[in-house]
Amino acid sequence: MDFGYTAEQETFRQDVRAFIAENVNQSLLDEMESGEEGGRGPEYRALVKKVADLGWIGISWPKEYGGQSGSRLDQYIVEEEFMRLGIGVGGAGSGAPAILAAGTEEQKEQFIPGMIRGEVIFALGFTEPQAGADLAGLQCRAVRDGDDFVINGQKMYTSAAHYATHIYMMCRTDPDAPRHRGISIFLIPMDTPGITVRPLWTIQSDPPAPPGTTYGMARTNETFFENVRVPASCMLGEENTGWYVGAMGLNLDRVGASRYLISVRRDEDIVNWVKENDFGGHSPAEDPAVRDKLAELWTEAQVCRLMTMRSMSLVERGGTFTYEGSAEKVWAPEHGVHTTEAISQMLGPYAQLLNGSEEAVEDGLFAHNLMGSFQSGINHGSVQIMRDQMARRGLGMPRG
Amino acid sequence: MDILPSEEEQMLKNGAREFLEAEISTAMVREMELDGLGYPPALWKQMADLGWLGLALPEAYGGQELPLTYLGLVLEEVGRVMAPVPLHSTSVAALTIASDGTEQQKQDMLPAVCSGDMILTWAVYERDPRLIPEAMKLQATADGDGWVLNGTKMFVDNSVVAQRCLVATRTSPKSDANEGISLFIVDPNGTGVSQTALVTLAKDKQSRLDFKDARIERAALIGEVDQGWPIVERMLDRATALLCCQMVGATRKDAEMAIEYAKNRVAFGRPIGSFQSVQHLLADMILHVDGGMMLTYEALWKMDQGLPASVEVSQAKSFCNEKCESVVRHSQVVHGGIGFMMEFDLHLWFRRVTAWTMRLGTTYDHRARIAAALLDVPGKVRLGMPLPTAV
Ligand SMILES: Cc1cc2nc3c(=O)[nH]c(=O)nc-3n(C[C@H](O)[C@H](O)[C@H](O)COP(=O)(O)OP(=O)(O)OC[C@H]3O[C@@H](n4cnc5c(N)ncnc54)[C@H](O)[C@@H]3O)c2cc1C
Repeated sequence: MDFGYTAEQETFRQDVRAFIAENVNQSLLDEMESGEEGGRGPEYRALVKKVADLGWIGISWPKEYGGQSGSRLDQYIVEEEFMRLGIGVGGAGSGAPAILAAGTEEQKEQFIPGMIRGEVIFALGFTEPQAGADLAGLQCRAVRDGDDFVINGQKMYTSAAHYATHIYMMCRTDPDAPRHRGISIFLIPMDTPGITVRPLWTIQSDPPAPPGTTYGMARTNETFFENVRVPASCMLGEENTGWYVGAMGLNLDRVGASRYLISVRRDEDIVNWVKENDFGGHSPAEDPAVRDKLAELWTEAQVCRLMTMRSMSLVERGGTFTYEGSAEKVWAPEHGVHTTEAISQMLGPYAQLLNGSEEAVEDGLFAHNLMGSFQSGINHGSVQIMRDQMARRGLGMPRG
Repeated sequence: MDILPSEEEQMLKNGAREFLEAEISTAMVREMELDGLGYPPALWKQMADLGWLGLALPEAYGGQELPLTYLGLVLEEVGRVMAPVPLHSTSVAALTIASDGTEQQKQDMLPAVCSGDMILTWAVYERDPRLIPEAMKLQATADGDGWVLNGTKMFVDNSVVAQRCLVATRTSPKSDANEGISLFIVDPNGTGVSQTALVTLAKDKQSRLDFKDARIERAALIGEVDQGWPIVERMLDRATALLCCQMVGATRKDAEMAIEYAKNRVAFGRPIGSFQSVQHLLADMILHVDGGMMLTYEALWKMDQGLPASVEVSQAKSFCNEKCESVVRHSQVVHGGIGFMMEFDLHLWFRRVTAWTMRLGTTYDHRARIAAALLDVPGKVRLGMPLPTAV
């Protein structure tokens, strides 16, 4: 057991911090706040390119596709340091692990280097109006026509679709096979004719979240596919194995800094806030109930961190997950909810003030997070479904 | 950073499990609940032969000088089978002798501990059960070349079978210089000390020790007069983290029993483990044991590295208190009525884990300590990085 970082890793972290201090400026943060292009405007793209030129994105991905064949932990250090500012710089959650694991040589060459440089961004097209938690019920059809497939259907909550270059989507390719065996994954350019994106505004869109809000988003989308014709080479993995490729990819994508940091940033913020501030001369930090709660939340947050470290250790050892990824995906979102709800009770009526309001605390950050925190327990596999997976795959419980 | 057990650690743990599961049955655990000594001496001797009694003690005194995490792994297995042996109390006291005792004390005690010839314990609790210097009332009065002890210690483990007990006493009122606490080595069965057995939830051997003009020699002092509190704190931190190991081991076994039961018990024509409400209880049980385990080993690892670890210890214990309790309670629920029956073994784990949540710091105590570290020292906190320290 080793819970520490090596001297090299500590030095690397300092290098990343120094880079951030030098390169992340207010105009970038302002651009991200504006929400235009999903916060990924020219300043953001220039930053990602710089980070990529240093070889810091996708460090653990193979060299031949633009990675470093390096350690997952180094990659994590980069992700962690950037995520502290609310800046995602690729890596976890991008779909890349599935492409690396199941893609053809051409697909890896086509996508991975571009993903590293921030030039290729995938939207995730899994959910449909009638298929959410029960994803295997999806109906969006892809029908073979010679060397092509023709896609018709609708995807819901395609979050990045309005600025993504591609969509990573699940379609039904064999309607007669058992549900899980008739699904395939396609990697499709968003500018293919027949794709229409319509915004869905979330409860966090008015006003949009202040910078640094790690939870939730102002906009997601629904995406319609009408006779979208794509070559068969867009398929990821074998035909009709999409369910398994997708599940494997999701599991790998669950590992990493972002999930854990999304859920624990507010723990740090609230501790630091009550230490330095007060309301009319009284700080919540003097209240024994608040102190007890903060200690409880801090401890829960450590467990978020340790669960991530456990997954990271498993990845580094080349081990396989039984339930560890799902465990992270239950613990971290629920912890985030505990914290944001507790903060409401610590700040009382101040916690309702949104950004733009007089008297708002931290520009309404905490109020926004209260709206956003629970959604990370719904998307990417709800906490109920994650518990099902823990019980069935991890503990061998029979199906209901 | 690789927080999973190394191959060597896993081997030690597997070996401990193999031995303990072969040697210790629930029949033995039940028998020892009624036994006067509370442990089987032959088994203790076997454990000495395996080297477990000196696992983390210096080689120079017969130990193996392995990290505390190794001892933790063994205690986790001890907890798993609820081994009725005084390993925790002996280790806690012996580690304090090793770190803070005099050369003579080490020579007198540590080889005897390693060979299984000396059982140890510690006594800090008093009637005010807070583990803070203010609660230390037992008075040690200088008398000639030694001291005379008067007062009461509570909840002392295994004192009926221990040859030596480390006793925290008050030698002076608190001053600007120190807390006025001194730590002594006392024979708990010697003159001037009377023991009264307490009947506990875990049916373990705890006693109240009443000291009436108990005389001790100068050589019995650990560290300096009046300056014993930091030694006591370190002892309590180690004791707490090691108790968490036992809790985690016992709780995981308890959860595994619920998992097995859920696969096999049929209701409404199907295994109860196929009901989602039961599945989700079981998933939570695993989240909770795993969380307690990772927090515990991080605390022990930090101690091994010589890093500050008291916040980590408090994180582990406050979490284990709440979550291990919840796991063993849920396991009772999954078992239905049978879990409530004396003849069924499950309560052996339930009673112990529950009792351990009450010892070595309540949830509130530990959270107060975490809160003080988070809030009362200026400077920004960042999770996963050392907390600001007072200047
Ligand atoms: C902000 C946001 C962004 C998102 N981004 C994306 C994206 O980029 N791409 C994408 O594909 N999807 C995305 N999603 C969709 C998300 O993955 C789905 O919302 C999720 O899978 C749940 O599906 P649903 O909304 O249809 O709810 P439903 O499936 O209708 O579920 C409703 C409730 O029932 C519960 N439930 C369902 N089945 C069971 C069961 N068997 N046992 C117990 N409880 C059950 C669920 O847990 C949930 O609590 C996003 C969602 C949100 C909120």
